[in-house]
Amino acid sequence: MRSEQEAKRVVELYADMVRRICLLHLKNHADTEDVLQEVFLKYILHSVAFESEEHEKAWLIRVTINACKDLKKSLFRRYTVPLDVLSQEAASVMPVQLGVLEAVLSLPQKYKDPIYLHYYEGYTAREIGEMLHKKENTVYSLLSRGRELLKQKLGGDGIA
Amino acid sequence: MRDKIQDAFQQVRATEQMKRSVSDYLIQEMGKKKKRSGVVILKPVFAVLLLCFVLGGWYYWEKPVSYVSVDVNPSIELTLNGMNYVVRAESRNKDGERVLRHLQLKGKSYLKAVELLLESKALQRYLTDDADLTFTVASPREEELLSELKGSAATMQHHGTCVGADLDNVASAHSHGMSLGKYQIYQMLSQYDADFTAEECQHMTMCQLYQMLSWYESGQDSSEEENQSGSGCSHEGGHYHENHNHHHK
Repeated sequence: MRSEQEAKRVVELYADMVRRICLLHLKNHADTEDVLQEVFLKYILHSVAFESEEHEKAWLIRVTINACKDLKKSLFRRYTVPLDVLSQEAASVMPVQLGVLEAVLSLPQKYKDPIYLHYYEGYTAREIGEMLHKKENTVYSLLSRGRELLKQKLGGDGIA
Repeated sequence: MRDKIQDAFQQVRATEQMKRSVSDYLIQEMGKKKKRSGVVILKPVFAVLLLCFVLGGWYYWEKPVSYVSVDVNPSIELTLNGMNYVVRAESRNKDGERVLRHLQLKGKSYLKAVELLLESKALQRYLTDDADLTFTVASPREEELLSELKGSAATMQHHGTCVGADLDNVASAHSHGMSLGKYQIYQMLSQYDADFTAEECQHMTMCQLYQMLSWYESGQDSSEEENQSGSGCSHEGGHYHENHNHHHK
């Protein structure tokens, strides 16, 4: 088990990232908090040392996506409040940025992770393929199709 | 597109409340795990300690410490543990075998075992008026055992003789196929007659052996001995006469 200091460091460093990935998958804050707790608990119980910070980050991304998927599989959960998850940001985020966020979140699920990981986290198609257990070419296709959909949603106003 | 997406997602952050809540949760869980891991670490330690305790107890219980041989003609030897309980009851001749056949002495205190032996019908038939009942004790606590045996009702009732023996004699007695009591007398008789064999000794009753010893000690010659052979000793259980005659040339 990792130390309390390590736990605090990793929460400080990666809580934002985990929150963003949750945003792609979940639709309310309670679920986001559940996933945050689960992901970081798994981290402190994960006894294998990471080779580098990149390795640690990729591990957290994978664990977060899996935790979100597992939560969604829960039979008792209902997602009837679309974009409720953005209510917290709605007051502080500029309308243009809020529009982009809403456009990304409204994409079909299969495009959201590749778009976020590529355009925000800067991962290549190969790296995304490894994280999501998909072929590199599949990731290219998902990115290409996702980009097209985003252009349509945002009216092509300079997004490309 | 990259910049717009980056700008947009940059606005999404975990709130301080979320971070605090996660940190508190982790600290709480880590405390629980530490307690649990402490128990997990202690479990094998307790298991090893318990095993040591059980093995140690078993070893202490089973470890032979003292030997008590009961000889009339039947020769029976009791092996005692450190708590003076019988861990083995063995016959050292055929008569002893008959006596032990229906007796369960293992696990009993040696005094109780002796009492059961002396009260058994199988041994009673050998305890005639002229029989010599001998208890021979080899033990680091020889005095204690001898004193208890001498004071026991069963021993007093049958006029048993209690003698001590060297613990080193136990192995020698066994190697000669004899009980400790008979082996002690055999050693004494061997000093008077170098031709006296262990096999001959095995076939004689305690009464006969004591009688023979007393002859040697009183300096009586063999002819007198021949005339008196077996006198005063019953025939029970022994093949004394044929062997005795063979021995005393």
